[in-house]
Amino acid sequence: MNKAGSRASRYWLGGAALVVTAVVFVVPFIFILFMAIKDRKQSSLLDFSLPTSNNLISNIVEVIKSRDYMLVTAFINSTILTVASVAGMVVLGAMVAFVRQRRYSRWNRLVDLLVLSGLIIPPAVVPTIWVLQKLGIFRTLPGLILIEIAFGLSFTILLFQAFISTIPKELDEAAILDGAGPFRLFFRVIFPLLKSVVVTVIVVQSVFVFNDFVNPLYFLPGDDNATVQLTLFNFKSQFTTEWNLLFTDILLITVPMLVLFIFFNRKIVEGMTAGAVKG
Amino acid sequence: MAGVTFDAATRVYPGSDTPAVADLDLQIEDGEFLVLVGPSGCGKSTSLRMLAGLEAVDDGRILVGDRDVTHVSPKDRDIAMVFQNYALYPHMSVGDNMGFALRISGVGTDEIARRVAEAAKILDLEPYLDRRPKSLSGGQRQRVAMGRAIVRRPRVFLMDEPLSNLDAKLRVQTRTEIAALQRRLGVTTVYVTHDQVEAMTMGDRVAVLKDGVLQQAGTPRELYDRPVNAFVAGFIGSPAMNLLEFGAEDGGVRFGGATVPVERSVLAAHPRLLLGVRPEDLEVGDRGLPVEVDVVEELGADAYVYGHAVLDGGPANVVARVRGRSLPAKGALLRVAPRPGSTHLFAVGDGARLG
Repeated sequence: MNKAGSRASRYWLGGAALVVTAVVFVVPFIFILFMAIKDRKQSSLLDFSLPTSNNLISNIVEVIKSRDYMLVTAFINSTILTVASVAGMVVLGAMVAFVRQRRYSRWNRLVDLLVLSGLIIPPAVVPTIWVLQKLGIFRTLPGLILIEIAFGLSFTILLFQAFISTIPKELDEAAILDGAGPFRLFFRVIFPLLKSVVVTVIVVQSVFVFNDFVNPLYFLPGDDNATVQLTLFNFKSQFTTEWNLLFTDILLITVPMLVLFIFFNRKIVEGMTAGAVKG
Repeated sequence: MAGVTFDAATRVYPGSDTPAVADLDLQIEDGEFLVLVGPSGCGKSTSLRMLAGLEAVDDGRILVGDRDVTHVSPKDRDIAMVFQNYALYPHMSVGDNMGFALRISGVGTDEIARRVAEAAKILDLEPYLDRRPKSLSGGQRQRVAMGRAIVRRPRVFLMDEPLSNLDAKLRVQTRTEIAALQRRLGVTTVYVTHDQVEAMTMGDRVAVLKDGVLQQAGTPRELYDRPVNAFVAGFIGSPAMNLLEFGAEDGGVRFGGATVPVERSVLAAHPRLLLGVRPEDLEVGDRGLPVEVDVVEELGADAYVYGHAVLDGGPANVVARVRGRSLPAKGALLRVAPRPGSTHLFAVGDGARLG
């Protein structure tokens, strides 16, 4: 009886967890979808209700056309930003993690501290802008790419480091005896083994960079090089807000990352837990 | 081909006062199979890694042939190493694993394929060349690791406990295979193990280390018959040699009722002595040291009797080999005496051999 009772309560707990998940994650998404389908009038009510008319296509067309096809440029900018900064994170993060994991020096503690600081201390915007200005890369895409790399690197390093620590050191030594130099050792022997973590880093950081609103807002102001998140401003002004278009825009810029997540879902978990258990 | 010379090679790990390997002097002949053996932490692996160039040499020199390689980078030492966990590249096929070193050194594709095929043939790996290490059994992986070393045609092979990840039966089989392969290729080989049976069966010569210090280097027979100290005596041979402490008496030591003769000068210098007798050199009879039997280990042809005797210094464990057909019962009292001329004498303090 006790057993049956515990089983029943387990089902209840599982069910409750599912319901909570649905409410927290699915309901907002449905809200976005409904809003994107509504016309301007209905959407201004800002309620959770079924759309009375289907305006999805016309909304999409309007969003794309608005402000001289700004969304298209924004998508191009965002893609360049995401690809470049994530590539930078993967390569630099893996290299730093490898060196940090394999080479023992008295700088290790300091490096660890800096990596952790990058994770813990919130970035200061004004001094960063000052640095960018002095370097002459403020308001440029390369400048923002460097910013994204810098902000994402700590997490990436820690992820890689955890995994590299499970690769036996003898593998390095075998490669060294086989005549591999440091670069060949890294790129031919170590890097191919990091595949699952690389996928995780790519997905997680792509989502982060692509969805980043604050950093482009501070470090890349101006309409010419807006990223997708900044196009949200197009439909919100001081007096009027076109809620239906705003939510259509949200829908459009959410989709790429959603697809990425759905495709690599399994891989992400693999990479996150890789290194937890020795394979 | 080349010999290897350790010339007072010393390694002190940072943060440690005692050297992991201290003043190692060892000469390994061209084509010789030398086994470094000792308990864990004795510095045998460190010595090997110093030779490989994976560990710095703090003092002294290491030579391969006539060439001083003390400060030469590992890849230029012309050596190949087999690791305990094999350290195969998981993302490469067996063939690529074996050919990796050749590819780096810029050997042509045809030549690589030829040499890999040749090694694969020697090691019975031909059907597996396109497989990944993951899909191979432990024994096959071990052979791939061997193949990776062979393909390079190095001047020296280094092997760091290459058999310890295999099951007992495969280990015995591979042991003979490696020894045979080494004889056939004639490449100087330094082999590290903690297993004295491996050391005795494989090595042309065996070097016993303890606490970073070389105790004795010699043929297995020399080590077995004339150990230079009590440590080597106890380490080589299974079951271990009986080491019993006695007080010196007139003419020798009194082994129960029997007297083991000892030279007068030795007796004069050492009031107490460590007497070593191998289990097979103890004879059961009506004279000698009374031993109470604790355990009898039957091996078929013969058996080992584990018991204890009471000496003047306290109780001591004694092992004796007896014929398999006439076994004493547990708890029985036996009298054992060493076969004349088969005993070893060691000093009590430092364990050095006397006479």
